[in-house]
Amino acid sequence: MTDTPGPDPAHLEALFNQAPCGYLVTDDGGRITAVNDTFVNWTGHSRSDLLGSTLQSLMPVGDQILYSTHCIPQLGITGAVSEIAVEIIGADGQRRAALLSASRSPASDEEPAAVRVVIFSAHERRMYEKELVAALRAAEEAEARRAEAEKELHRLALHDALTGLPNRAGLNVGLDQLPAGGTAGTRRLAVLFVDLDHFKAVNDSLGHAAGDELLISVAQRLTSLAAGSNSVARLSGDEFVVVGAFAGPTEATALAAGLLEVLRTPMQIEGLEIVTSASIGVAVAEDGGETLEDLIRRADIAMYRAKELGRSRWELHEPAETDPTVDRLRALGELRRGIREGALRVHYQPQIDLRTGRTRGVEALVRWQHPTRGLLPPSEFITMAEESGLVRPLGAWVLGETLKQADNWRRQGRPSSALEFAVNLSARQLNDPELVPMVEAGLRLRGIDPALLLLEITETALMADPAAALASLTALKNLGVGLAVDDFGTGYSSLTYLKKFPIDELKIDRSFINGLGSDSGDSAIVGSCIDLAHAVGIRAVAEGVETSGQVHMLKAMGCDLAQGYHFARPLPAGLLKEWLDANGGG
Amino acid sequence: MVEAATAAVSTVIRRNNVTVSGRADGPVMMFAHGYGCDQDMWRRLLPYFANDYRLVLFDHVGAGHSDVNAYDREKYGSLDGYAADLLEICECLDLKDVILVAHSVSAMMAVIAATHEPERFSRLILVAPSPRYTNDPAEGYVGGFSQDDIEGLLASLDSNYFAWAEALAPMAMANPETPELAEELRSSFCRTNPSIARHFARVTFLSDTRQVLGKVPTDSLILQCSDDLLAPPEVGTYVHQHLERSSLVHLQATGHCPHVSAPQATADAILQYLASSP
Repeated sequence: MTDTPGPDPAHLEALFNQAPCGYLVTDDGGRITAVNDTFVNWTGHSRSDLLGSTLQSLMPVGDQILYSTHCIPQLGITGAVSEIAVEIIGADGQRRAALLSASRSPASDEEPAAVRVVIFSAHERRMYEKELVAALRAAEEAEARRAEAEKELHRLALHDALTGLPNRAGLNVGLDQLPAGGTAGTRRLAVLFVDLDHFKAVNDSLGHAAGDELLISVAQRLTSLAAGSNSVARLSGDEFVVVGAFAGPTEATALAAGLLEVLRTPMQIEGLEIVTSASIGVAVAEDGGETLEDLIRRADIAMYRAKELGRSRWELHEPAETDPTVDRLRALGELRRGIREGALRVHYQPQIDLRTGRTRGVEALVRWQHPTRGLLPPSEFITMAEESGLVRPLGAWVLGETLKQADNWRRQGRPSSALEFAVNLSARQLNDPELVPMVEAGLRLRGIDPALLLLEITETALMADPAAALASLTALKNLGVGLAVDDFGTGYSSLTYLKKFPIDELKIDRSFINGLGSDSGDSAIVGSCIDLAHAVGIRAVAEGVETSGQVHMLKAMGCDLAQGYHFARPLPAGLLKEWLDANGGG
Repeated sequence: MVEAATAAVSTVIRRNNVTVSGRADGPVMMFAHGYGCDQDMWRRLLPYFANDYRLVLFDHVGAGHSDVNAYDREKYGSLDGYAADLLEICECLDLKDVILVAHSVSAMMAVIAATHEPERFSRLILVAPSPRYTNDPAEGYVGGFSQDDIEGLLASLDSNYFAWAEALAPMAMANPETPELAEELRSSFCRTNPSIARHFARVTFLSDTRQVLGKVPTDSLILQCSDDLLAPPEVGTYVHQHLERSSLVHLQATGHCPHVSAPQATADAILQYLASSP
């Protein structure tokens, strides 16, 4: 082999010129320095035209861009490109599909850098690839449409359909970008919890369509003032939150004050001018990475305080402040679960006829068997249930359970079958248009004499909306059930009002009974309550009776009925039966 | 918090395949590659700076060895998304007084980034920049391309779907004259996801960053090549006129990638500029 001479230059030239593909040599910039006959013939360009011009200039602009941005750097760095699809424009102006491979030899002392290019005609393959890519694009477009539909679905899941604002889930997603730990540089994450005042009244008096319109207006007003760097979301019902990064509490409460102001401007709803207001709770993140949930919870607590302090105002939650309802939201969830999973109990407290000493009836009192806190009395959760609306299912359940129990006893043929059952109604229930049909259906289902059911309404519930209460009570009265005013003496209602309601019984608040004998003021109040009841022809009932001294005084004052620990605490159904057997009830 | 921060940093590092080399305590030089390539395109230029500068390189999302899963069509639907990534890398590595070397479309990402965080950057080196590739006859602006040209580019990209897709591309035969190059690089250089390349092409070639130029407070150097199809001389002049604190240097190098074709001349121009007082 070593003796074999190198290839004949003439053969090499023939190989170059008559090869079955185009050969070119260019410099680094693509300027053609040599080209073979095949390429000259294939393109129709003359050799003299080709030499000195750039290879790229034979390509359409798109290919030129790619050649400049992709192929030339790749040749420079890796020394080769392979099977790049290009089009070469011939002398006839026609584009010729081609594949281009090239390798580059770096500059040496003798020669400058050179790029050797091979170009194959690739008409068939290009057609085939074009079809493949077209199919691929069609598939991508179908996929894009599917993704778009999915995105829309996702958007719907994260937004409130009525106002278009993010919902709770959407709020969490939107805030993912915010820095962890609740602080953004020197700015701190804050939550403004906005709850409309008396929204229910709008819904009840003007209907749900008007209520919805109001919510949309409120959403727009909140957004127009607070949006931008803040997020506005609707959590539920008439609850909105504004979340953003603030310089501190002052800036956050200033926004709250501004929001109160824009919400106070009257709105036109269904042709009526409606004046709304809201209560706003503000919570600003402390160092130490409070979650958004933490902040919403604290802001919610502050919002409730704003409500308690008279509404249409803002309150700032101080991180250090301890709040008995600190876990209201969590507790609400627990209560909801408790109702669903049967953790509620009804206990029955006997009511004693003070003249005969016999048990005239029982008051049904709900208890919550809390998973960790034990058996809770209504005072621990009724307010929360009332505020959240949970009181409706809860109240319905208590009524149903009590009627079921009454039915049980009656069917056991006990002499206590004539026992009266007193059940408490909340203010919300009183305004619930479903209340009367529900009571009626419950009585019918269990076949209970309506006269044996006594519904108790607190004085404050009556006075909140006397006109509406009168309508509900009248309807209930027409069913034949008895009605009692609970906690009487705490609500400053006037005698004239009391006379308007079709009530059968006045229950004197336990706080006055408590002072009987020790506090002459309380004795006077209890005495006049009893007289008042008798004056309008109804019974007087004393609650919270604990001592025989109190019993003695009540008897002396002419009180009709009494209940309290002195006689019996509220008892589960089974124990009540034992108690009745032992005390000759009924 | 520390763990969270570390996790965030490593996400960014992985997302943009950030690599750091050179002199650890040197001033920071960051390199942003342009359209159609990845950070490997800087390799011929780096030796001129490695002894004196801390070199930070990265791949734009969708290019090179970046995390393709991080490609969000909405975010990367404008140059702003890329500029945000660039700033995030600076923040994660706590880079200060950065000399940002940016090629082609990345030059405009650099310009956007510098308006957002001017304090981050000491100098911008803009290699073959263009604030708008298409002509704007209404403003008398010459970008070099018509709308049809860009459509042609997208068609060309489609034609090369199989040539550039990482998994499908043909392997170039080894070039005996560049033996130092690892096989891996030979096969992966500037390979890209064709769909992303197509979207990036659209974003790049239809971008218009002219309005941002006037807001850049940073000192900058414009490197203008001859015979650059993508950045004709008028464009370089336009950028120079609208970037307040800019210097314009014409390189002898031809084409769009002087750092590849003429690394020595490119490095000389940059070093000379850096040696001049701001």
